[in-house]
Amino acid sequence: MGAVIHARGVRKRYGRSTLALDGLDFDVAAGRIVGLMGPNGAGKTTALKSILGLTPFEGELQVLGRDPRTERDSLMKDVCFIADVAVLPKWLRVDHALDYVAGVHPKFDRQRADDVLKRTDIKRKSKVGELSKGMITQLHLALIMAIDAKLLVLDEPTLGLDLLYRRGFYETLLNDYFDHERTILVTTHQVEEVENLLTDVLFISHGKIVLDSTVDALPSRYAQLVTASEHVATARALRPIYEREVFGRYAFVFEIGKGGAPTVDELAAWGDVRTPSIADLFVALMNGGRGNAEVAA
Amino acid sequence: MNLKVMKTLLWRETWEHRGLIWAPVITAAVIVLTALLSTSFTGSVQIDIDGQIDIDGKERELFASLAADLSHQRQLFAVWLGALVIPQMIVAMIVLVFYVLDSLYNERKDRSILFWKSMPVSDAQTVGSKLATALLLVPLWVWLVSMLASLVVFVIVSVKLGGTPLAPLATFHAGTWLALQLTMLQNVLVAALWYAPIAVYLLLTSVYAKRSPFLWAVLPPVLLVIFEEVAFNTSMIAGFIANRLFGFIRELDLHISSEDGDTSASLMREIARSYEQLGTLDMLAKPDLWFGVAVAAIGFFAVVRLRRWRDDA
Repeated sequence: MGAVIHARGVRKRYGRSTLALDGLDFDVAAGRIVGLMGPNGAGKTTALKSILGLTPFEGELQVLGRDPRTERDSLMKDVCFIADVAVLPKWLRVDHALDYVAGVHPKFDRQRADDVLKRTDIKRKSKVGELSKGMITQLHLALIMAIDAKLLVLDEPTLGLDLLYRRGFYETLLNDYFDHERTILVTTHQVEEVENLLTDVLFISHGKIVLDSTVDALPSRYAQLVTASEHVATARALRPIYEREVFGRYAFVFEIGKGGAPTVDELAAWGDVRTPSIADLFVALMNGGRGNAEVAA
Repeated sequence: MNLKVMKTLLWRETWEHRGLIWAPVITAAVIVLTALLSTSFTGSVQIDIDGQIDIDGKERELFASLAADLSHQRQLFAVWLGALVIPQMIVAMIVLVFYVLDSLYNERKDRSILFWKSMPVSDAQTVGSKLATALLLVPLWVWLVSMLASLVVFVIVSVKLGGTPLAPLATFHAGTWLALQLTMLQNVLVAALWYAPIAVYLLLTSVYAKRSPFLWAVLPPVLLVIFEEVAFNTSMIAGFIANRLFGFIRELDLHISSEDGDTSASLMREIARSYEQLGTLDMLAKPDLWFGVAVAAIGFFAVVRLRRWRDDA
């Protein structure tokens, strides 16, 4: 199976000076769950909008073999997206929302949407404006999950939801939707929440991809050393890409497995070594090693 | 174009704008209520509550000759029932102006455009469904509602006229009635062509305006008219706009006026003239109309393009 998304040199400029995307090169294979992460203004949303054909851009971009600029209408039969919470219009009644999607989407399975909705407290005759934010997301998810799409794009799908709904959202998605033939591309600030379900990570910063890796490959690329203060000088000499101090202990992130870089065994001599979490890695790579954790969302 | 998709898109418009369905029904109810409460028939004839008819000699003569003259009787019947659609049309037009202005603006304001765009519906289908709602769906609904309303009004008035000298006028001419409905259906289609450029202009402001599409729609023409007045002391633009706004209704001039000195013969001619006015098919011969259709077609593509690439949600 070919790449679900194939991007080469994708550039997008707003106005004269702002370069939102500065030559993106990446591929997303079928059956992956890819986290697209980056700080605010890094170009995440612009990248998604380009993939969805919502905004013009330069460069080469193929989504399911189609150019989203010229073949958007047929592309949307195979691509679903939840742009954000609360984009369902307030005036729309729940049963009408089902009627609508059933009427316009050839791959919508109404029975399935009904089944998902039955597990919620959402009433058919309610208007979206009468539902809570969490329920609106449940409704949107019920609609989207009943569509037999090849690619699902989620842009901050749980923003502003409480913990219960956030947890439920991803659980439903994983248990009832994802089946290794579909592909999910998700952006979120809540890195910890998606950490365990991603198969791939794409980090974007200043319109460029700064990390493109499968989650499985991360242990062979990055290591985190946690050590006591007496070893700080030694650790620094090994050129960590990031360091921080937590309760008197020091954590260093290293790039490993490259020429000149320390190995896991070398690091293990100075303290505990493990694979950094995606959140740690995000902070490390976004910060350029300055040790300021505050930019992490 | 997929029929099921189009049907769904049109339903969608009625879900969002309930007023499109209810305004014609409420207007019809008001017309029926007026017929129930009113005591006048064709303007000058008073029917008192006790059934006493107050008509002067000239009108007595007119009604006597109408009672005998079946052809003019049918014409008056058609003009009278046909005229009932005019208040319906005016209310529908006002409702539709606000509908069209909202149609591509609200979805950006509440960001629901991102939901609509997540569905496999092209921008041309979306914009087309809004245009079809304004130019065909609602006018056809008005046609249907006013058809039923005219029947109810006829029944009410004929009951009131029963046993009076005007009773012959309360005859139901089935053939004329059917022909009238067909004429009105033609009028719906002619009006759709005539008003297409206005609808597209409103769509354009709706898809373009960052805020207040109503001001965007109204201010430019008003400023142009004022500018022309001040700079050249002419009012060509105003005339042009007025022609487009009122040209169609002017064609439907169904008012039968009687003045002192009119004979029943001249009133007969007046009835015949109004009857001629019921149909607007002759507007299809106007280059004006087709010029407007061409402008609307170009504007339609501009609206579709703007909705396709506008990126501020």
